[in-house]
Amino acid sequence: MLVFTRRRSQSIMIGDGIEVHVLRVGRDGVRLGIVAPADVPVHRQEVYDLIREANRSAAGPPHPMAAIVERLRRRK
Amino acid sequence: MSHAQANAPVERLQLRSRFADVEVDPGDVIRFPDGLPGYEGIREFVLLDIDDLAPLKVLHAIDGSEPCFLVVDPKSVLPTYRCEIGAADRLRLGAAEDATLVWLAIVTIRGNGEVAVNLRAPIVINPAGMLGRQVMPNACVYPLQFVVERPA
Repeated sequence: MLVFTRRRSQSIMIGDGIEVHVLRVGRDGVRLGIVAPADVPVHRQEVYDLIREANRSAAGPPHPMAAIVERLRRRK
Repeated sequence: MSHAQANAPVERLQLRSRFADVEVDPGDVIRFPDGLPGYEGIREFVLLDIDDLAPLKVLHAIDGSEPCFLVVDPKSVLPTYRCEIGAADRLRLGAAEDATLVWLAIVTIRGNGEVAVNLRAPIVINPAGMLGRQVMPNACVYPLQFVVERPA
């Protein structure tokens, strides 16, 4: 990992067109602004982690599906 | 993509897993350029309709037998479900503003038999380009594990 210390109003440039700006440093966190090309998705790490964990449990061990499908169909 | 000769057989793909034992046409392969969170290297899937599992479908990786995901139309579990994708996702999917997209939610069957659906991060597929990705829209925040069914 590349480690920088930045003050308010300083920024970092990544690759082609990605910029991380430190907007405000406060008691409840650091406010960051991200500039990125339109086709680059930007996400909070914890959201991505939650999705990853959900996917891992969804791809998990097999279950007998007949009873589950029966219950889903009866819902309609 | 090269075109097969008129008399050459199209090479079909064999999929085998706990959900399916089928051959699929390479034209049915959906490319996920970024894979899925947790499975970033898995880039090619097919969407299978299996009678025994309806209304669930299977998003099946074509390389090896895992992962397979049970998926469902989010509107069938929550009729009011509405979501828009952002500009970045739209560009990644090569989707025009008015493109028809296919929305699928990943289904988790929990150890106790509960059926939960990920409405927070749906799978979106652009059928015109056979491209897909899992999106995490900030604009429409639904539950990550929306419980649809509890065991009796």
